[in-house]
Amino acid sequence: MTKNLDDQKCESEPKPFAYSEAVKEHFLNPRNFLMGDGSKYACDAKGTVGNPVCGDQMTMYLQIRDDKIQDVRWKTYGCASAIASTSALSELVKGKTLDAALAVGPKEISEFLGGLPEHKFHCSVLGHEALAAAIDNYRQNLQK
Amino acid sequence: MRDQQVYLDYAAGAPLLPEVKTRMDEVGEGLVNGEYGNPSALYATGQRSRRLLDEARMQVALLIDAQPSEIIFTSGGTESNNTVIQAFQRQIIWTTPIEHPSILEPLRKFSRQKARFVSVDNEGRVSPKNFYRDPDPKYCPSLVSVMLANNEIGVIEPVREISMKCRSPKYKTLVHTDATQAIGKIPVDVNELKVDLLSFSAHKIGGPAGIGVLYVRKSAHVRPLLSGGDQERGRRAGTENLMLIAGLAKAAELARARLTEWDKVAGLRDQLRAEILREIPHVSCNSPKEGCLPNILNVSFEAIEGEAIQLMLDATGIAVSTGSACASSKLEPSHVIMAIRGDAEIAHGSVRFSLGLNTTESDIQKVMAVLPKIVAKLRDMSTLKAGEHDKES
Repeated sequence: MTKNLDDQKCESEPKPFAYSEAVKEHFLNPRNFLMGDGSKYACDAKGTVGNPVCGDQMTMYLQIRDDKIQDVRWKTYGCASAIASTSALSELVKGKTLDAALAVGPKEISEFLGGLPEHKFHCSVLGHEALAAAIDNYRQNLQK
Repeated sequence: MRDQQVYLDYAAGAPLLPEVKTRMDEVGEGLVNGEYGNPSALYATGQRSRRLLDEARMQVALLIDAQPSEIIFTSGGTESNNTVIQAFQRQIIWTTPIEHPSILEPLRKFSRQKARFVSVDNEGRVSPKNFYRDPDPKYCPSLVSVMLANNEIGVIEPVREISMKCRSPKYKTLVHTDATQAIGKIPVDVNELKVDLLSFSAHKIGGPAGIGVLYVRKSAHVRPLLSGGDQERGRRAGTENLMLIAGLAKAAELARARLTEWDKVAGLRDQLRAEILREIPHVSCNSPKEGCLPNILNVSFEAIEGEAIQLMLDATGIAVSTGSACASSKLEPSHVIMAIRGDAEIAHGSVRFSLGLNTTESDIQKVMAVLPKIVAKLRDMSTLKAGEHDKES
């Protein structure tokens, strides 16, 4: 990854929080997370990726009407950036068509959060994969 | 903002003591005005510096009951540990799987084939019985290195008992202990412990970072890591950093004087443990109840991840550390929690609270005012259910 001068200046400044302000905000005040028992939420599709052994696991719950994501909820086991990534993704895809939602990739999630630390980029990948798994699950059910 | 900070990461580094700063300022002033300079010089400035160095060495020796000539100043615990391990490269070394990375990494580099890891029990303790089960001199270790107390969970190792076994006249094994976490918290006496080599650093006892100690018993010889000038009697080359050495000496003097005050800290730590176990369900302790440093409490919260707990506590002005993989740049869970619990999820959910002499009951109350809520919130968000982990295993 190439770094410009501004990035370097930014990195040398003391940070009270290891993450960007946007990550901090989404982590401390997560949007759209599913409170309580996930199995009781009436959703049209859900997708889970990740593994507790690796330290991150995410589930996306979707309510879909007319090929659009009407509501999105999530649960995440993981670090601050995993939680913030799922929160950001939920904001980004709400109201979008399924194809438009699938186009929201790790890069878009990371950019929306003002960048993730390099070794945390996989958190945004997982978020995207959880959503893709949920949409896959929905489309497979339609075909049945 | 500073007033609100509840600092519970003393095991990572204690704040610089004001008396230490004052002492370093004095020496710094002396280095400006020519009172002090290079201790190797024969003129008056050099001789004054030499005296400062000798006095500091005496002060540090007193802390561990060593002879001043047995004290080598290094750049810290990492250098002391590296010096020991590289000196025994390609020789048989016995150690434990829960040592600090400054033992384990040089071991990987220098003695990979010859290292033997003596297993620890589920509290992290090694059994002296596991040393010398096989008395064949061909497999006799040249070095045994066991930390005096573990930095993550605080367990105190039976170093004296291990030394006694290894000091049999039949073998020529040297015993090293990394006392970096233990120093200043519990009595550390090289003759009581019967060790040949011992490492520690200044910044864990309120001294400056960048300076540490390697104790080498008079009868032992350790090949230097840094060669060059004959500073430290040729055992560690490089011009002595008088400011840091004077700071270390002051910190050592204070640590010795304050050793009895840690009982009070142990009381606060026990209170924190009791309150966490009472207020928060599905928590387990990684620190042993007996035979633990007075200031460390390591606990695992089920179904949530330590880095998230750490950062939510940080947002309320409380500083702790975690053994979660997410908090390490290598994305590996703590090797210590893995060694004692064998479970990545438990390691990810571990949080270390480490207290200091300035910790108050009000600090514990501030933690308990927010921690149960933070744990509940993160568990509500989690895909995992607390309590189900026990059933699986």
